[in-house]
Amino acid sequence: MEIFWIFAGITIFGLVGYGLQILAVRSHILKHPLHCGEGSSLPRSFLPISILKPLKGLDDNLFDNLESFCLQDYPEYEIIFSLQDYNDPAYKVVRKIKDKYPDGDISIIVERCDIGLNPKVNNLIHAYKASKYAHILISDSNVVVDKAYLREISKHMEDPDVGLVSSLIKGTGGHTVGSVFENLHLNSFVVGSVCFLDKFLKMPCVVGKSMLMGKRDLEAIGGLRAVKDILAEDYVIGERMHRSGKKVVLSDYMISNVNEYWGIKKFLNRHTRWGKLRWKIGGIKYLSELIGNPVFMACLPVLLWEPSKTTISFALLVSLVKTSGDFYLGRKTGAELNNPFLYMLSPVKDLLIGIIWFIPLLNNTIVWRGSRYIIGRNSMLSPCAETGFWSLRYRIADAIKGRFA
Amino acid sequence: MLLCDFHIHTTYSDGSVELRRTIDLFGQSGFDVIAITDHVVNGDSSIGKFARRFNLSVRENNFEEYLAHITREAERAWEKYGMLVIPGVEISKNYLSSDKSAHILLIDVKEFIPACWGFEKIFLEAKLQESLVIACHPHHTSAITDKETLFLWNNREKYAKYIDAWEVANRDDVFNVISLKKYPYIANSDFHKVRHLYSWKTLLNCNKDIKSVKQCIKHNKGVAITLFRN
Repeated sequence: MEIFWIFAGITIFGLVGYGLQILAVRSHILKHPLHCGEGSSLPRSFLPISILKPLKGLDDNLFDNLESFCLQDYPEYEIIFSLQDYNDPAYKVVRKIKDKYPDGDISIIVERCDIGLNPKVNNLIHAYKASKYAHILISDSNVVVDKAYLREISKHMEDPDVGLVSSLIKGTGGHTVGSVFENLHLNSFVVGSVCFLDKFLKMPCVVGKSMLMGKRDLEAIGGLRAVKDILAEDYVIGERMHRSGKKVVLSDYMISNVNEYWGIKKFLNRHTRWGKLRWKIGGIKYLSELIGNPVFMACLPVLLWEPSKTTISFALLVSLVKTSGDFYLGRKTGAELNNPFLYMLSPVKDLLIGIIWFIPLLNNTIVWRGSRYIIGRNSMLSPCAETGFWSLRYRIADAIKGRFA
Repeated sequence: MLLCDFHIHTTYSDGSVELRRTIDLFGQSGFDVIAITDHVVNGDSSIGKFARRFNLSVRENNFEEYLAHITREAERAWEKYGMLVIPGVEISKNYLSSDKSAHILLIDVKEFIPACWGFEKIFLEAKLQESLVIACHPHHTSAITDKETLFLWNNREKYAKYIDAWEVANRDDVFNVISLKKYPYIANSDFHKVRHLYSWKTLLNCNKDIKSVKQCIKHNKGVAITLFRN
């Protein structure tokens, strides 16, 4: 019974942390009412912006995602789509976008670049070189925005001390269990953590889906080449910008990440990769994620010791509280899941996240876009040997996977 | 080259994705031409009766609605994605024996054609409607769960003259016998689920209109196949 009380204590501690995350999100939203539209204040001047869109493969909703950037209510901006390969299926989509908006300032750059190990940075190098304006917006291909987006985020750049503007993301859509899990996780853990770090710890936590910055400020911290071998290039850019004395601002604009058809495997792979990254960056602080998962902590006594009326009731109660919190956050952030009952899956998602939390402690390699890397300190990537004795375990694992496929 | 898929099912038959979402899925992925080809199942066998009983088939009484729905969605797809959507059906003659079973795609179909008609009558009616006739998955497939449809291949000497093209590849399978016989070919996904988007497709070097697409397939010049992967 003592063990139960220990876990109950940790769970309550986690719930308090989760409560603080909700407070942080609420306060961010109250301070900057979400979404903009007609009534929002306009920037005093519109600085010209180059939008850099690195593309690799098809994301859910890709056409709409890319099109939304062509419809910005903003006087001067260019869009540069960059790909590594003409055979990339995204190439057809960007060609269509360019044909649909012949008057838009849209360029497509297809050029192979192997300068570093981070494929996103490789993809950005040529686009960055080709960009013509002093401010760049690095924007992932899996986000959709409305026409006020550029106007809203560029407002912050009027303050000369601001070096980088990033945005919160919310997950929307979801026709499969994997994508519902992904959206639930984005709308609770990711949104909550980013707001918590920003409000209570004053730590910049940049999510790479939207990063607006001046070229001069980026060059001052080493430019894109400085992060070419780093997995969490977004976080590191934000951190270096902060250390250089520039402000890193979390914009009041919330961008939508549409996830429609994810399988559970894709969800688990992504969060295992992100977990490894946070373990390598945060070190012992990574433990707070486990403690901050109240559903998992409440279920551990049920799973590891004998299930009793007390332990099961406690786990159910905690799951109910967490689900209600997720539902509240979803409503507050305007995240649209296809059905409100899908929030009932939230505890299952938290259990899975709790299980994969341990993987980064045991394994420091990732397979990203077909290549295997070892993640080092601060998410520095190094190539993983594909031959020799130490690579034997990877080859055995690949052979088993291949056999099952 | 136009990226095309001429074998797509929706919830009008046994597909798992409804028509509008199917069109959006292909449109969002950059496709140029697709054909919606839901099953029209024969009612003269136990398998066919079962499919009709559970609404896994387009029937004469909902065919008009099916066609009208595709036409509405086709207009939307053209407007939004610049994607051509062609109405079609898959005439599905299902029997217990694989040797008796056959599936035939009719692309650009205008009026209902019952699957219980004889093969020649179906082909002639399709020609009258100026529909394209395609023999689908004509040879042995790798999927254990799918029933094979070998009738047309086994009777190719008799029926090849009616068939405008044969599926040389269907989803993950490649039928090399089609190329060995030098028959006109295309490749399709036989889309039923979202994951089937990533499968064999056809590339056509022609204008993006129904007439040119049909001619290109019939003459089988400027046709290539590609394995569409993410």
